[in-house]
Amino acid sequence: MPDVKKFLCVSCPVGCSLSVTVEGTKVISVEGNTCPLGEKYAHSEVANPVRTFTSTVRVRGGSLPVCPVRSKTPLPLSRVFDVTREVAKLTAEPPIEVGSTLIENVCGTGVDIVASRSLPKR
Amino acid sequence: MHWPAVIGDYDVIVIGAGISGGTIARELSRYTLKAAVIERAPDIPFGSSRANSSMIHGGFDDKPGTMKARFCPAGNRMYQTLHEELDFKFRKCGSYVCAIGEEEEKHLEMLLGYGKANGVPGIEIISGDALRAREPNAAPAITAALWSPTAAIVNNFEASLAFIENARRNGVDLFMETEVNGLLFNEDRSRVRGVATKRGDFTARVVINAAGVNSDIISRMAGDDSFLIHPTRGEYFIFDRRVGDMVDAFFFSCPSDKGKGVTVTHTADDNLLIGPTSVHQADRDNRNTTRPGLEEVFEGASRIVPNIPRNMAITTFSGVRANSKSGDFHINALSSPRGFVNVAGIKSPGFTSAPAIAAYVVEMMKDSLGDLVKFEPDPKFVPERRHIPRFADMPMEERERLAKADPKWGQIVCRCESVTEAQVVEAIKRGARTVAGVKLWVRPGTGRCQGGFCAPRVVEILARELGVSPLEITRHGDDSFMLTGKTKEPLLPGEPL
Amino acid sequence: MSGLRRVDVAIIGAGPAGVAAGVAARKEGAEKVVVFERDWEPGGILQQCIHPGFGLHTFGEELTGPEYMHRYLERAREAGVEFDLNTMVFQMDKPVSSDGRKAARFWVMNPSRGIEQVEAKSVVLAMGCRERPAGALGIAGSRPSGVYTAGAAQRFVNMEGLMPGRKVAIMGTGDIGLIMARRMVLEGADVVGVFEIMPWVSGLRRNIAQCLDDFHIPYYLNQSVCELHGKGRLEGVTVVEIGADRKPVSGSEKFVSCDTLLLAVGLIPENELSRMAGIEIEPGTGGPLVNELMQTSEECVFAAGNVVVVYDLVDFVSREGERAGASAARYAMGRLVKGDREFKIVPGDNIRIISPQILTASEDVTVYLRVGSPVEGKCRLRADPGLSSQNLRYARPGEMNEIKLRADKLKALAPDVTNVAIGLEVL
Repeated sequence: MPDVKKFLCVSCPVGCSLSVTVEGTKVISVEGNTCPLGEKYAHSEVANPVRTFTSTVRVRGGSLPVCPVRSKTPLPLSRVFDVTREVAKLTAEPPIEVGSTLIENVCGTGVDIVASRSLPKR
Repeated sequence: MHWPAVIGDYDVIVIGAGISGGTIARELSRYTLKAAVIERAPDIPFGSSRANSSMIHGGFDDKPGTMKARFCPAGNRMYQTLHEELDFKFRKCGSYVCAIGEEEEKHLEMLLGYGKANGVPGIEIISGDALRAREPNAAPAITAALWSPTAAIVNNFEASLAFIENARRNGVDLFMETEVNGLLFNEDRSRVRGVATKRGDFTARVVINAAGVNSDIISRMAGDDSFLIHPTRGEYFIFDRRVGDMVDAFFFSCPSDKGKGVTVTHTADDNLLIGPTSVHQADRDNRNTTRPGLEEVFEGASRIVPNIPRNMAITTFSGVRANSKSGDFHINALSSPRGFVNVAGIKSPGFTSAPAIAAYVVEMMKDSLGDLVKFEPDPKFVPERRHIPRFADMPMEERERLAKADPKWGQIVCRCESVTEAQVVEAIKRGARTVAGVKLWVRPGTGRCQGGFCAPRVVEILARELGVSPLEITRHGDDSFMLTGKTKEPLLPGEPL
Repeated sequence: MSGLRRVDVAIIGAGPAGVAAGVAARKEGAEKVVVFERDWEPGGILQQCIHPGFGLHTFGEELTGPEYMHRYLERAREAGVEFDLNTMVFQMDKPVSSDGRKAARFWVMNPSRGIEQVEAKSVVLAMGCRERPAGALGIAGSRPSGVYTAGAAQRFVNMEGLMPGRKVAIMGTGDIGLIMARRMVLEGADVVGVFEIMPWVSGLRRNIAQCLDDFHIPYYLNQSVCELHGKGRLEGVTVVEIGADRKPVSGSEKFVSCDTLLLAVGLIPENELSRMAGIEIEPGTGGPLVNELMQTSEECVFAAGNVVVVYDLVDFVSREGERAGASAARYAMGRLVKGDREFKIVPGDNIRIISPQILTASEDVTVYLRVGSPVEGKCRLRADPGLSSQNLRYARPGEMNEIKLRADKLKALAPDVTNVAIGLEVL
């Protein structure tokens, strides 16, 4: 029995409203998207929704007390709170280079947490 | 059994560091006696002296023969020189009472009579057209106005701080966050011997009650229930500096059945101020604004100065006034118990009257309490005091000189009001303890962004200068913490950071 | 007083607009291009915008704010843009005449150098915007601590590692408010709800999805915070429904317990300096009146980014920054050519904000617009008389629209035409 799911595509600022016809976990069709990103997003939302995760980590002796971080690639939405707690445990040491890996394979997601800015020592 | 420690022994203790307590403290500091001011708030001014019209009234508003009629014009005369001596902002702007129609014009005639009887200089009634020639934004409907040239506007924060600071300079002690919870007496309760506070006891020969909206509570502690404070709350709008010059003088409305009348002011700092309402309430600390109250203010102001752009409002506030039931000031020295002086019911024109009241209180004490306290002039008394230099008002050469001497003068903390880090640091050195306190001293957060930009910076500087964590900084004392913790803490319960 | 410090192109503010202006000014050939920045590092507000969503147009991928600035600052370094950090421009004078052209003069302060006066052949204003504060809204009630603009809270959380509160209500659906809702949840706070006075969301729709829906944060349209409670710290807010007449519905008030209220109720271009310099401000945008060269009413002063009009995407800010920077460089080198016509763009049906507002027909131009109320369905932007039209699938106040106008078409308009009208038709 096909089912229609509604999503709002977050791939870009346009925010297309997607109607996705699914049977179980199988996508039958995607409507409402205006670019291929929407199609891809619909499949991902049905199978396993993922998001880019951003937060900060504590820094000891840096020019700022915290450094912004991100997941290098999107990670499962269902794991965001686990990742948040894992990231909270870390205290990084400056100097930090933008893009440098601070946590490898966070919570077994296969995704690295990287610094999203450079942070010199105080 | 726990005996509270005696914190200090004084000739005179003043309860309350508002404009009444501050002016009295400064008068006392002219003498060699030992005095202290006790204040429950963390910063000054936090009561009625903080939230009012900041007006120095001409003195025509009160019925001849009352204490208000006596002290208001006298206070006005004193302010004309006090602002130079004590360096607080003062704009001699004059005031108009605006009449619309014959009924209200009769009111002007009455006020003119009062003013002449009270000795107010230079007052006269002018036509509506003459008013509009001087003040183009005055309402076309205004038919006549009472002009009082000696009226002025002060920065009421600076003025309140100036008196107390000069008193301290001349030897008066100040105890902040020290709420009085009782009086001390001798055995037969014929004499007041001091005050009990949460911090401990202060012994004294004379206690002066300048506790503002709480003055009747203090008075009852002395066994005097002859007056009651009926707090009235007044709401105000403050507008952006860009419309401050819509009026030059202070505009009063005539009182009507709707209330005493809304005023429109160009403040000492060039904002436009409109208000107040006047609502009796039982709660002495309720400084809420209300939607109907603010509507009433805006409508009332628009009646005398139309076209005030509402979208230029930057904030609203309300203040509570210490109205005594008689309507007049309540100033006396009790005969039993002796050693207790009331300076109570000091509502409008209280700020104007305060210096004159203070001088009178000292004379009264010399007469009736001279056996308890010796008034010997202090040859070391210094009447002058300087406020923290105001970067916004300085010539460029002065700014350059200061910035060269101290890098903190080259760091702007509040961009709306051009306040530098040096000013904030100096305010903290001179007593500011809260975000609101810093604002009262040197104005960061009073501008059009209302602290959006500077509040985090002020918190940081307060924490640094006081040597505490930013988490301990409050907006205005008690539990008004600015922050609730560090990030990550809620995610890691039980783990030390 | 030390002598005048002279630069070719001065840029005020090292946010995305200012940095882009610097890059373009150097590329255009200007010699001494200096960006004055009051903070200790360049980047502006993007340094605290640690969430992703920046740069899809400029870099072809979604970056966080700091990453976007990092990449742009690389370009600036390569281009030879100078940065004067910890240096605040605190006063701007009216431009003066110098060598037959106007030149800009302003005052800067720096903690180690003190106060200096600068003369620049041209200036780009890139001061950005500020947030509308609580006071302006006339919210009734007490004055407790715990009421912050969303951006101030963002600075505390993302730059200083401090929590402004534990239990958060948010007023307004501006993007920073939505972003902060998610951010506070990810730091362990409880976000009790987002209250929007209008019948529509003012931020991007995807932020409703990824910041609120993902975290089960409720939001309410046609509801407004009308009263604050608590003498010390905030203890709660009263929320009221707004009726179809846009007035509060009496009796609909409800108490919402919270210790923090974040305000995301609008951004206002920051134009203190522009006003000091006597630059004409356009009432509709709150920013300087500009032509397609991003030139203000003072010929040596240009403006770019949120100081002109509040954009929805940083990519547009950078693009317009480059336009302003290039124009400022050409002016400084004495070769800025304005067109020989002058048109005023007037807003037509359902158009609230337009930038630029003046066209001189010097070059093709992208005009940025915001609609007043949302149209959920096919509609068409039209620039008249007969200049351009563009079909849209929808138009929403939270998202900017663009329409391109060609210089040759403008030049061909009859000589008595002085207005260009841009409006939105519902199809």
